[in-house]
Amino acid sequence: MREYETIIARVEALARDLGLSFDPVVFRLTDSEEIAEVASMGLPNRFVHWYWGGAYKEIHAQQSKAVFSILELVLNTRPSYAFLRRTNTHLQNLCVIAHVYGHADFFANNHWFRKSNKDILNLAEQHARTFRSFEEKYGRETVERLLDACLTVATSVNAFERDPARRARRVIYHLEARAPLQDYERYILEAVRQEAEYFDLIQRTHIINEGWATFVELELLRELVSARQWAEVSSSICSRPTTYMIGYTLFQHIRRTWGWQKALEVRRFYEDVRLIDEMLTQELVHRLDLFVYDPRDRTKNTDVGAVKEMLIQQKLYKGDPPIEVEDPTGPRDLTLVHAEEGKKLDPKRIALYLRSVYSLWRNPVRLRANGKVYTYDRRGLSTS
Amino acid sequence: MRVHRARIAEHKHDQLLREYLKQNLHELIQQKELVIDGKVKTSITTLDLPTLRYGEEERFLAQGAGQAQGSGGQGGEEVYAVVGLLGGDHHGKELRVELDFEEFVRLAQEVLLEELQLPVLHHVRRGGEVETEDLLELDDLDRWGLAADLNLEETMVTSLLRNIRERGVAEYDVDLRLDGWYFVEDPTVDRNHRSLEIYVLDISGSMRGDYLALVRKMIFLLWYALERRYPTNLRRYVVFQDVAEEKTRDEFFSVESSGGTHISAGLEKAMELLEGVSEYDKYLFLFTDGETSSGDFELAKRRFEEALERFDVVSYGHVNPGGRGIGGFSEHVQELSRRRPNLSFVNLVDLDSIRQALREFIPYLSGEGGTATCGSTRRSSRGWRRSPGTWA
Repeated sequence: MREYETIIARVEALARDLGLSFDPVVFRLTDSEEIAEVASMGLPNRFVHWYWGGAYKEIHAQQSKAVFSILELVLNTRPSYAFLRRTNTHLQNLCVIAHVYGHADFFANNHWFRKSNKDILNLAEQHARTFRSFEEKYGRETVERLLDACLTVATSVNAFERDPARRARRVIYHLEARAPLQDYERYILEAVRQEAEYFDLIQRTHIINEGWATFVELELLRELVSARQWAEVSSSICSRPTTYMIGYTLFQHIRRTWGWQKALEVRRFYEDVRLIDEMLTQELVHRLDLFVYDPRDRTKNTDVGAVKEMLIQQKLYKGDPPIEVEDPTGPRDLTLVHAEEGKKLDPKRIALYLRSVYSLWRNPVRLRANGKVYTYDRRGLSTS
Repeated sequence: MRVHRARIAEHKHDQLLREYLKQNLHELIQQKELVIDGKVKTSITTLDLPTLRYGEEERFLAQGAGQAQGSGGQGGEEVYAVVGLLGGDHHGKELRVELDFEEFVRLAQEVLLEELQLPVLHHVRRGGEVETEDLLELDDLDRWGLAADLNLEETMVTSLLRNIRERGVAEYDVDLRLDGWYFVEDPTVDRNHRSLEIYVLDISGSMRGDYLALVRKMIFLLWYALERRYPTNLRRYVVFQDVAEEKTRDEFFSVESSGGTHISAGLEKAMELLEGVSEYDKYLFLFTDGETSSGDFELAKRRFEEALERFDVVSYGHVNPGGRGIGGFSEHVQELSRRRPNLSFVNLVDLDSIRQALREFIPYLSGEGGTATCGSTRRSSRGWRRSPGTWA
């Protein structure tokens, strides 16, 4: 770690010169194993669930492939914790350090991120321990089944929505408010929802956050490395994930068009949806070679409007089909509606999904989709 | 030792995966390309959280290959779905399950043995292929081995415990068949493999679906049995239709079935592989439905005679998932097996017939007396011929 201390101090000073500000960052040298462990759960100390196990295997397998391996990990806490991979080259870790300061600046300044729970590690630990005590009291299988159902509906959270009436249109909030749950069940649903909201915020700022960090990384490195190293770094940028490239390209465009101050302003007030909506242009879509692909007739649509719509939809519903709760006609009524009538839902998943919702709602659940009404009750799935 | 929660989660995921494999092994095993880059890949919806998704045919955001990544050439357009738009935790992302082939084989063997109600013997830390770069521990112990490799201490302890258990006396009354423990050599040091197994598979047009599933199950179980008896064995793979070809293990499990059935070609290729081989035992496993292409019957008969001379054991699996009558070349081999001690004929109809076959071939898998036939020089027309001195 000592070999990096002077360089960390230099990067930090340079970052402040650029006008960035951040909470202290604690760096730790670690191995791929630990990065895979933390990345698969999203946090170092979340409750145990088999789903993270699958993610762990996937990441662990990827770690051996150079192109897709995770080089860096940083936690949005106060102070921020960042992990440097021991097997990275010196130059790679230099990039990581500069990149991390970009994130730390974003954590501290972005309007949406400032509202996030900086004490998430303690909260997650508390959840994990409470779940374990529930397992002892109510049985492991009961708790695991409940967690499966809660995590299934948890993708419907919206960390940005403050209006209670509109929030209630999302399945998880509706269930939390009205499902006939026991106290420990409600605690679990609430805990899963809180953690999901924490991640929802990260997901809705993923493009801008990574874009900003990459942008800052390159700004800082330009000052730090030799010409040869600079060539190496800048040419390797293209192999970063597309999301990084979209954000990075947008910030480059912003700086060139409106100057550095505008870039700082965007990182403060924007999130992904606004960034894409306002800043993505037809020219940038071409440069990034983005398009909407239709597998039915194998056509590409490179229109900026179509690409924007697709990106924004991903952000609003996490790529899930948009499902809303219809105004209930009675206390036991729960009808879900798929808002995009033209698109078909995978029928194999409908039964499994509705069974999960039913296990929490405990009364018949209806879903309007694919031109039909699916009903799940104690007899199972029926269609009309 | 620190065990991270992600590892506990991984263990839970494994348990679910095992459960899934149990229920779906038959479909999984007949995937046309079972192995891709050493992995068994499959999409498992039940091992995903059942969030709603669009059907496959919906539009998605994509990116071209670009210049930097080198496009596919041939004028074909390359389309890559843009993934990872969300970052943060992986929740809600569809997980594709990839298993190492070794891991898949191990799980499949467990599932099959359980289904067949055969005993699961102690775990050997290796998968299907024994030729490995990994160094094994030299002090590995096994219940089967060469007389010279007997581990006397371990054998005496086992014997003592057995005598106390069975007769209530603390005596070192060793019965090698029941108490013997042997050192197992390290195959990477000692290249003198105990046996050579050649698997010859018919991949003519008819060998697909249930046919393939049955053959693969049989091969997995053969591996399981042979791996424990001959830890240092060598395996080679041949596929044939109109022509024959040697394949790597992975290629062997990703074959496209097509063409005619020239059994003679398969046998010729198998015998070619015997050039310069010095292993004790040479096993030939031939799997086919026996429907020879016209004109090949007589030649195949001759080649089969030759193979019987050159291999120590020839095992012929008539792949017959429908359970129809036995005709064609298979009928000829069945007839021959009554007279030839080193030829065994198996009519592979279903799992039950695999069980029958294994129980006859591999006595210790029958669960009756475990190693009871160890040490005998019994030659059975339906059993393995053992070369003297191969094992105690």
